Amino acid sequence: MWERKPVLLCVLATVAIMVGTIITMVLPFAWVNTEADRIEGVTPYTALQQEGRDVYIRDGCNNCHTQTVRPLVPEVLRYGDYSKSGEFVYDRPFLWGSKRTGPDLARLGGKYPDAWHYKHMESPRSMVPKTNMPDYGWLSDNQLDPQMIQRKMDVLGFPYTTEEIKALEGKNEMDAMVAYLQKLGSDIPWREATETTIVGDLKNPFIDAGQTTISGWASLYVENCAACHGPQMEGDIGPELIGDDYDDEILFEIIYTGIADGGMPSFSNLGTDKVWKLTNYIRHYKTDGSQ
Amino acid sequence: MDLASIVYLGVTFGMFVIFVLIVIRTYSKKRKDEGEIAKYQMLDDD
Amino acid sequence: MENQTYNYAIVRSFVTWSIIWGLVAVLVGVIVSFQMVDPDLNFPPYLTFGRLRPIHTNAGIYGWGIGMIFATFLYMVQRLCKVPLWSDKLAKFQLWFFNATIIASAVTLLLGYTTSKEYHEMEWPIDVMVVILWVVFAINIIMTILKRKDEQMYISLWYMMAAIIAVAILYIVNAAAVPVSLFKSYSAYAGTNDANVEWWFGHNAVAMVLTAPFLAMFYYFLPKSTGVPIYSHRMSIIAFWSLIFMYLWTGAHHLLWTPVPDWIQTLAMGFSIMLIAPSWGSVFNGYLSMNGQWHQMRENYLVKFLILGITFYGLQTLQGPMQAIRTFSAFIHYTDWVPAHIHLGTMGWVSMICFASIYYLVPRIYGRELYSIPLANLHFWLILVGQLTWSISLWIAGVLQAGMWNAMNSDGSLTYTFMETMVEMYPYWWARAFGGMIYLAGLIVFIYNLYKTAKKGGAIAAQATVVEGRA
Repeated sequence: MWERKPVLLCVLATVAIMVGTIITMVLPFAWVNTEADRIEGVTPYTALQQEGRDVYIRDGCNNCHTQTVRPLVPEVLRYGDYSKSGEFVYDRPFLWGSKRTGPDLARLGGKYPDAWHYKHMESPRSMVPKTNMPDYGWLSDNQLDPQMIQRKMDVLGFPYTTEEIKALEGKNEMDAMVAYLQKLGSDIPWREATETTIVGDLKNPFIDAGQTTISGWASLYVENCAACHGPQMEGDIGPELIGDDYDDEILFEIIYTGIADGGMPSFSNLGTDKVWKLTNYIRHYKTDGSQ
Repeated sequence: MDLASIVYLGVTFGMFVIFVLIVIRTYSKKRKDEGEIAKYQMLDDD
Repeated sequence: MENQTYNYAIVRSFVTWSIIWGLVAVLVGVIVSFQMVDPDLNFPPYLTFGRLRPIHTNAGIYGWGIGMIFATFLYMVQRLCKVPLWSDKLAKFQLWFFNATIIASAVTLLLGYTTSKEYHEMEWPIDVMVVILWVVFAINIIMTILKRKDEQMYISLWYMMAAIIAVAILYIVNAAAVPVSLFKSYSAYAGTNDANVEWWFGHNAVAMVLTAPFLAMFYYFLPKSTGVPIYSHRMSIIAFWSLIFMYLWTGAHHLLWTPVPDWIQTLAMGFSIMLIAPSWGSVFNGYLSMNGQWHQMRENYLVKFLILGITFYGLQTLQGPMQAIRTFSAFIHYTDWVPAHIHLGTMGWVSMICFASIYYLVPRIYGRELYSIPLANLHFWLILVGQLTWSISLWIAGVLQAGMWNAMNSDGSLTYTFMETMVEMYPYWWARAFGGMIYLAGLIVFIYNLYKTAKKGGAIAAQATVVEGRA
C-alpha cells in the first residue's frame, strides 16, 4: 500500500499534519480577537505611534525585549498587570518576543516621562551604567516620511486625520519611537487599579541610623534614582531633591507609590526595607558631599 | 456529559484507534519481510 | 556502472555552498555573542545586535540547514530510488536560485527589512523566492521518487516527502501578509492569532526543517557508514507516523502563560510530552543498530559523529518536553536557558549529522579520500567541546537569572531589580562567546580538511564508489 505508493503516502502524511494544524491553529480563529475578546479603551495606534512600532520592528528590538506579562506573581510585581488578548488586536505583527535580555516592555507606557526615554535611547549607559543595550541616538537623524506613513495607515485601516499626517513633518524616528513606547500597555487603566494604598501609620525603622550606615546606602540611590534626579540630587529629568522638607513618611509614600501623573514611577517592588533606606539617604544628603 | 465532551472523547479515541491499527498492520506477521526489506535494499545500491 | 548517470556534481555544489553559509552563520553568531557583552561593538544602523541576530539564525537555518537538506536529499533520492535525478537542469536552477535567495535575505535583513517573526524574518518578496525554490525542489524529489526502481520505500524517503509537504504548508500560511511597499508588509493575522500562527510555524520549522530531514539523513548515513542495516524498519515507521502527527499540536508551548487560549497551551504541553516516544524511537533505533558494532565508535570517525548527533537529539527531545511543562516554563522561559536548548539541537544534533553526511559524501563527490582523519577527529572534539561550553554556561545562566527574577522578600516584594539580575549574566555570556569561538575553530579545521581533500591530486574515483566511509 503506502509503502509502495509515494502519492498515497504524501496524501496520508498531509492528513496527519493537518489534524493538529486545524485543531490548534485554524480553530482558535473562532475564539481569538472576536467580540468577546474586545477590551474597551484599546485603540489603534496613531500615525506617529505606528511608525515608532515599525522602527522597533526594523531594528529588531523584539530580539531582546518581550511584550507580554505572564499571570505570575513575580512577573506582575515586576512589570505590572498581566497581558490580555484584547490588548493586542491592533498588533500586526505581534511582538511578544521570546527572550528577555532586557526587561519586558508590555507595561512600559506611562511609566517614565518622555524625557527619560529620549535620554535613555540616546545613551542607555548614561542612565543604567552596566546595561548592554546599544545606543540609539542616531534615530534622531532620520526624518519621517509622512506619505509613506499615511499609506501604512491606509493598509492597516487605522483612523487618522490629515492634520495628524501633516504634523509628522519635521518629526524624526526617535519621536516616533518614544510615542510608541508610551502607548505600550497603557490602553487599560491598570496602573490606577493596582495603585498601592498604605494602610495604617508609617514609622521610619531607621530613625536611629548613624551617618556611616546611611551613606552605605548610596548604591541604592545610584541604581534607582540618579538617572532622573542626578548623581548629586541636583535634578535633571526629575526635580532637585536637596532641601525639600517632606516628612519621612511622605517621602516614603512618594517613592513607594510613585506619582502617576508626574512621571515618577512606583518603586514598591523594591520592598519597604529598601524604600525606607532610600528615604533616609535622600533626607540626610547634603550638597557638600559630607553627608 | 455535553456534546463537546462527547466529541472531544470521540476524536481522542478515534485517533488512538487509528494509531493502534497502524501498529497492528505494521507488525503483522505476514508483513514482517515486506516491512523490513527496504533496510536491506538501501544497503546494496552501489 | 549505473552510478555514472547519478548527478553528484549538484550534490558537491550544494555541499560547498551550504558550508559557506554555515560559516557565515557561525561567524555572525560569534559577533553577536560579543555584542551581548560589549554594546560598543554595535555599529548602527546596520551592524547592531537587533539586525544581525536574524541573519545569524536565518543563515543557520536556511543557508546551512536547508542547503544541506538540498545536498543530501538530491543525493539520497538518487541512491534510494536507484535512478538518476528527474531533472538536472531544474537542480542547477535550484542551486543558483538558492544562493540568490540567501544573499537577498542577508542584504535585506541588514537593511532592516524584516517582518520580526522569528525564523521567518524575511519580507514578502523573499517569501516568494523561498516558495519558488521549495516548489522546484519538491517537484524534482517527488518526480524522481515516482520513477524509482525499488518498490518499497526506505524510511528516509518517507521523512523527506513529509518534510517537503509540511514545510510548504507552514511557510505559506505564516507568510500571509498585506504589502505596503516592496520591503514592508503587515501580517494577515493580528495579535494573539498572529502569535499562535507564528509559533505553529516556528515550532514546526524545528520539526520539519531541523528534525524530519535530519532523521532522513541519520537513517540513511548510519547504516551506510557502519555497513549494517538499521535495527528495525517497522519501528521507524511507527515513529514516523507518531512524529509527524504529534508535532503539529505543540507550537503553543512557546506561548505558555500568554493570552493564547489555555486549552491550546494544554494540548501543546500534552503533545510535547508524548513526542518523547517517537523521538526516542529513532534514538533507540540508532543505538540498537550499533549492536555488535560499538567498536566502530573508535575505528570509524563517521559513526562517532552520527552517534553523538543522535545522542544530542535524544537530549534535545527530553529537554524540550520538560520546558514545555507549564510550571517549568514559568520559571525558565525568556532566560538564556532557551538559546542554550536551541543550540544543543543546532550545533549538536543538526550540525553533527551534517558533518557526518559531508564526510560520508566526500569520496563520492570529490572522487578522493578525505585528506586527514586526525583532522576530522580534531574537528569532532572542537565542536563537541565548543557546543557543550556554549550550552552549559547558558543553562547555568538561565537558572541563575530565573531564580533571581523569582526571588521575593518576606514582605512580598522582589529581591532583585532587573539590572541586578542582568549584570550576573556577563560571565556566562563571556563563556558562551568563548564556546562559540571553539566551535568556529572546529568549523575552520573542517573546511581546511575539505579544501585539502579537493586540492589533493590523484583522483581515486574507481575506489570511491565502493568505499563506505570506513576509516
